[in-house]
Amino acid sequence: MKDTVLLLAMNGLIWGLIIALIALGLSIIFGLLDIINIAHGDFFMVGTVLAWFSLSLTGDFWIGFLVAPLIGFLLGAIIQRLVIQPIHGVAALSIVATFGLSLILQETVRITFGATPRRILAPIPGTVPLFGVDYEIYRLFAAAVALAALAGFFLFLQHTRLGIWMRAVRHDRETAVAMGIPARRVYVMTFGIGFALAAFGGAVAAPITTVDFRGGVDVLPFCFMAVIIGGLDNLPGTVAAAVLLSFLEGLIQSVADPTIARISSLVLMSAVLMLRPQGLFGGFTK
Amino acid sequence: MRRRFIETTLAAAGAVFLVTVPWSIPALIDNFWVSVITEILIWSLFAASVNLLFGYVGLLSFGQALYFGFGMYGVALGIDRLGLSFWPAFGLGIAAAMTMALVSGIFAVRLSWHYFAIITVVFSLIFYFLAVSMKPLTGGDDGINFTLPPVFRFDGKAIGLTDPTFQYFFVLAVVSLCFFLMYRLINSPLGKGFLAIRDNNLRASLIGLNVYALRLIAFVLAGCLAGVSGALFAFFGRYASATYMFYQVSGEAVVWTIVGGAGTMFGPLVGTALFIVIREIVSSHWEHHSLIVGLLAILSVIFAPKGIVGLWNGWMIRLGEREPVKKAPSRLTLRAEP
Repeated sequence: MKDTVLLLAMNGLIWGLIIALIALGLSIIFGLLDIINIAHGDFFMVGTVLAWFSLSLTGDFWIGFLVAPLIGFLLGAIIQRLVIQPIHGVAALSIVATFGLSLILQETVRITFGATPRRILAPIPGTVPLFGVDYEIYRLFAAAVALAALAGFFLFLQHTRLGIWMRAVRHDRETAVAMGIPARRVYVMTFGIGFALAAFGGAVAAPITTVDFRGGVDVLPFCFMAVIIGGLDNLPGTVAAAVLLSFLEGLIQSVADPTIARISSLVLMSAVLMLRPQGLFGGFTK
Repeated sequence: MRRRFIETTLAAAGAVFLVTVPWSIPALIDNFWVSVITEILIWSLFAASVNLLFGYVGLLSFGQALYFGFGMYGVALGIDRLGLSFWPAFGLGIAAAMTMALVSGIFAVRLSWHYFAIITVVFSLIFYFLAVSMKPLTGGDDGINFTLPPVFRFDGKAIGLTDPTFQYFFVLAVVSLCFFLMYRLINSPLGKGFLAIRDNNLRASLIGLNVYALRLIAFVLAGCLAGVSGALFAFFGRYASATYMFYQVSGEAVVWTIVGGAGTMFGPLVGTALFIVIREIVSSHWEHHSLIVGLLAILSVIFAPKGIVGLWNGWMIRLGEREPVKKAPSRLTLRAEP
């Protein structure tokens, strides 16, 4: 009993770190461009599929860690120019456009990859004893990679020119433009980075979940919840919320079936929305 | 003058078309399209429920599938488990949807914009997962089937929806009635209150409107429209399934509404018809019809950001500008603009 609790809680924690990566992408796209990105789950799905393709084409899983975010970034930049820019940040229209995008991405994957879900074997096989449970090594590695990527992203936001531009445009678009920040370029980069984060999350998660053209559908509501519970303007809050939600769901799964766990996290989510609409951690920053 | 003429002609042609569908469509194409048009009518009512909230009150709901599902299950469970006849089951479906809308609306309408969109999708997900897990009652993803009871008995003969022509006219009558009631609602003082909230809810509350109560009323009425369409769809398909409560179903209705033209009476109908007709035409020739649907959604928001009906209204206004300006009547009368 204690073992299953620990196992599921660990699984939840690790899944939460990956979700945090994806949710960060959603949050910067929403915060900077006012785009409600219905296709974000599919960005994640594209990442898992890219990992599968690079594994089957080169025989080396790790190339996927490079390929997925790179192609994700390029796709994101192209999509921003072609689809997102003409909408001028009208939220209602962004829902329709990204819905269309989601259909196109899913269908393209169905044509190229096929409709049958596949699994990728863990590239680091074996288990390691951890608090008395045998735990898969790859999951621990995935958690470490996700943590490193999260840390890298926050360092990027704080210490690079583009990161500072992104924060400036997010904070006050007009002043940023007046100070000579090329806002249009920042938008393209932001959308690309948002896609890249989700695709990287997908590549990391590919051996843990199944690779399926509908794999983004379940991830999407979860990411939105993390963004809202964490607070719309609060990137660290998003990360904390993703980890917390997923961890709690893992804990509840050890005593009830997964559906009950999902329902209880949704109920928790409604309570947060009603009682603290500024987000769970709204009071702690700024 | 010309605009009114064009629109009256178009409306008359549309009405004639809808009334003659059971005869003209089998003669021109085939019987199958009668059922497609029936389906379009049902889904357009569902889109209208999104439109009532988003287009007229400014609340973007991503959870209308919940009330659609309650309408469906009210009918299916009423007939299959409780042994109800046609009309009580219909009533049960609508009542279930409205009750659920009232209960969730009490919480949801306190929030606005993003938070409202998220909480509606959260509520619908909760009940979606409940419906999936309560398989003995709801049949889960597979759903439950039922046999149709007759709508009424006439001279000892049972008349029911098993007759496709009668089914079409029944759906047409219910959907038209709902659209008519919605039209009256929007033009009533209550409807003006909705519009005031949509345009600026702070100003609306400052002139003494109870924003919370008005939003709740709109939410329950939208739940009613979704419930009616869900009940109709259950009768139409003779089954109910949890899959229709998933958030993607709500999302499709949002897309149909915005592409057709949010805040216009017939926008949802136009958007729904466009997407379903394209789906039916392309899917029989090409497996990957979603690509076309996706492309269409993107192109329509880029080139017609106010929706198809919005684009049409823009053309009509430009048409009006080209007409020679009429001479003012000799005696000017002052009147308040509506």
